[in-house]
Amino acid sequence: MTLLGADALLGPVREALRGVQADEADAHVHRRRAAISRYSHSSIHQNAVSDETHVRVRAIVGKAVGVVTTNSLAVADVRRALADAAALARASRPDVAWPGVAEPAPIPSSAAFHEETARTDARTQARAIGAICAAVPQGMRAAGTSQIEITEDAVANSRGVAAYAPATMAYLRALVQSETHSGSGYAEDLSMRMDGIFPERVAARAVEKCALDRDRRQLPAGDYEAVFEELAVAEILRIMSITGLGAESVREGRSFMAGRIGERVTSEAFTLSDDALDARTLGIPFDVEGTPKLKVLLIEKGVARGPVYDRTSAKAMGARSTGHAADPSRYAPGGHAGNLTMAGGGATREELIAAVSHGVLITRFHYTNTPDPRAATMTGTTRDGTFLIENGKITAALANVRYTMSALDLFAGIELLGPQRLARDWWSSNGMGSVVCLVPPMKVRRATITGSSPL
Amino acid sequence: MAITSSVSTDLVHLASSRGATYADARAVEREHEAVGVKDGAVESVTRTSDRGLGLRVVHRGAWGFAATDRTDEASLRALVDEAFRRAEASASVQRRSVRLAPVAPQRGEYRTSLKRDPFTVPLAERIDHLLAVDANSLGPNVKTRRSAVAAYRTRKRLVTSEGTDVAQEIVETGAGLSVLAVKAGRKPASRFDSRLVRQAGWEYVEHLDLVARAARYRDDAEATLDAPLPTERPTTLVFAPEFLALLVHESCGHPTEADRLLEHEVAFAGTTFMWPEDRGKLRYGSAHVSMTADATLPGGMGTFGWDDDGVPGMRTMLVDKGIFVGYLTSRETAGALGLPVAIGSARAEGWQHFPIVRMVNVSLDPGTVPYADLLRGVDSGLLLEAPASYSLDDKRQNFHFSTQTARVIRDGALDGYVRGVAFQSLTPDFWGRCDGVADDWELHGFLSCAKGEPLQLMRVGHGAAHARFRDVPIEVRE
Repeated sequence: MTLLGADALLGPVREALRGVQADEADAHVHRRRAAISRYSHSSIHQNAVSDETHVRVRAIVGKAVGVVTTNSLAVADVRRALADAAALARASRPDVAWPGVAEPAPIPSSAAFHEETARTDARTQARAIGAICAAVPQGMRAAGTSQIEITEDAVANSRGVAAYAPATMAYLRALVQSETHSGSGYAEDLSMRMDGIFPERVAARAVEKCALDRDRRQLPAGDYEAVFEELAVAEILRIMSITGLGAESVREGRSFMAGRIGERVTSEAFTLSDDALDARTLGIPFDVEGTPKLKVLLIEKGVARGPVYDRTSAKAMGARSTGHAADPSRYAPGGHAGNLTMAGGGATREELIAAVSHGVLITRFHYTNTPDPRAATMTGTTRDGTFLIENGKITAALANVRYTMSALDLFAGIELLGPQRLARDWWSSNGMGSVVCLVPPMKVRRATITGSSPL
Repeated sequence: MAITSSVSTDLVHLASSRGATYADARAVEREHEAVGVKDGAVESVTRTSDRGLGLRVVHRGAWGFAATDRTDEASLRALVDEAFRRAEASASVQRRSVRLAPVAPQRGEYRTSLKRDPFTVPLAERIDHLLAVDANSLGPNVKTRRSAVAAYRTRKRLVTSEGTDVAQEIVETGAGLSVLAVKAGRKPASRFDSRLVRQAGWEYVEHLDLVARAARYRDDAEATLDAPLPTERPTTLVFAPEFLALLVHESCGHPTEADRLLEHEVAFAGTTFMWPEDRGKLRYGSAHVSMTADATLPGGMGTFGWDDDGVPGMRTMLVDKGIFVGYLTSRETAGALGLPVAIGSARAEGWQHFPIVRMVNVSLDPGTVPYADLLRGVDSGLLLEAPASYSLDDKRQNFHFSTQTARVIRDGALDGYVRGVAFQSLTPDFWGRCDGVADDWELHGFLSCAKGEPLQLMRVGHGAAHARFRDVPIEVRE
């Protein structure tokens, strides 16, 4: 696979922008090539590759904005899209909150692209899946996904912004189930590079969990000490991000930060930033408006420091855009924090478990949601590895449990943190909005379990 | 690339000549226009279009799929190469060959029946309508008001190596409405509905009467903002159709998808608790509960002429008087399960997606009791009108729903609002507590049921009527 490249993405839109009949205009080009092999019962059952390029243009007449999206990069089509956007703007009404398109500004270089990963072919993906299937012992079966994704983003506008960045992502997951009892284990690797994916290691982690997950018990509802593994913590961070880390949610009073910036909201052990400039978060250095992304300290040692902004929310709140405008077809307006880094610690997995006298270990969650966004409350059931910990040791497998609790209360009880790892929540791992996290496992004083699934 | 071109036919012939035992090409063009108003001003005016082609082959007994938006000859030939490379890679890790349930070759066209094409409604008319809606959402504590109207058109043509060649043009029209009320010292209250969408023309927006609805939503949000927490914990719950449509979707539609029991979705969307050996035996709900999948329902968001396997739309029972009886199947999943026919549930979001098993219009069948009679049977209960957040486990068995709007029922009549109501339950237990379904059945549309990798957002329809449930404990949270 070859990149289309900066010239191919920026050339047509810059040429089309030169003749635009509007006061201002901008264009965001997003190219995505996704190669996904899915397997179950240790067989590949779906194997798809798609290659698509979308161009989203905005034309502004007065302060009225028209937006048109097309999936052609031909100059004539981009020109037509701009003309249509200008016509929509003329037929629309002024938007008094319109902040103007972005001014040119230096953009840091991107390091999120890996050439060899981009060249990964279908056979290599199948070999990774084959390695997992071969590593699964008799009496177990594997299912999961191998994904290689190449993206290219470019933004240009009538003020002279011209930005381009390619990125790669490699992903492999394995869900291992027992043939003889109702047990399952899960593991995954996520990296910018295919050589950061280790199929045998993924298989070993999932198999180990599956082997442990037998003779499940039901856990009564109540508060428990808990160890949250990285994927489980990523799920909590996603809820914080979509409910409370964007400026618009603060402005509208929906965010946990609303009226609390500068106050302590969690324990001192919790520090959270958005940092797309750290290539480990798979980020690119500018947003869809062409604003350079800044590293934003969101919560510092438990104290709320502020949200991320796009241009509109920044104007409305008297702030400066932090470069967090996101594709409005996928994200709520007002800034999206999608490259999170949560400060970690040095505790090993064994030390986290050893610190629990009576509690639960959670591998990951399924289909979480937020019944109380203002409190960043999350509810969701666990899956693929929920265990009882007694006196510092895993002593039993548990039926999946329902967890319901405010993220702020959960993070208020952090007692130990492990090292960071790259992870995504359940929703993001499948593209339902993207929050990529460098996230540690943690041991907390209290997690609220509100029910159990059947055995 | 025009939808009527012979590109699809040529690609299928090429794939067959290279040894594919099955091939299909699906050309899709999509258009979408949306207008949004926020707090009295236009927030967005957007027009989106895309087009492309997806090629699916079975080669060496395995699937390969490739899709592109580039339609030059070199790209299309490369598409065939890509599809074969994917199939060969699949075949290298495969224990069982793909077997498709049979379908006779199909020919023809399907077109949405509509009175006024929503794309022809002048932008100024749409904006004026929304500004009137917005004005009617104003309230003393209303902080944020949003409303939108949208139109969607999909043209697609499917050509298969088995002789199917069908063209469809589907038009959908919808609206969104939300009101957020905020007051110091109170938990914010919102009332919203993003499921007001139908396969129809602009006449559906007129039917919705958004101006009157906006006032209702404002009143609901204002009343909920000031409402007390429930002091009693009634366990008789009456659900409005809007709420039940989502419950049907999550707790019946998803677990009857056949790809879940084949574990195609196990690592992401999950599996099911409704297994083949349970068919005809598992008590899913009370005798009041029957559920139907129907891709022929006029106006449904899951209505079509043919699915993306080329199987004609049809109607089938999923739950009959409380007993689980049927699955949603594609040709592949029906073939794998040894079923004689697929019921036409293979659907892809766009040209770039591989068709997977999706819901069509999955509905709770209406009862015979007037809604007023259902209410009269409640001494102390709650009417849950609209869901807020919802969360399900990977088997669709353990669920949690919170509510936007909950109203007190006392002695058979509505009597004020309460806030903070949620409930969690297990699917067969919940539906087993249904002791009456009203006759006021109505259809709802969902735009974005999420499933598959890469993620596919599917349009589905759900019909439901008011229904009453006994002995369902609620949770109350501040």
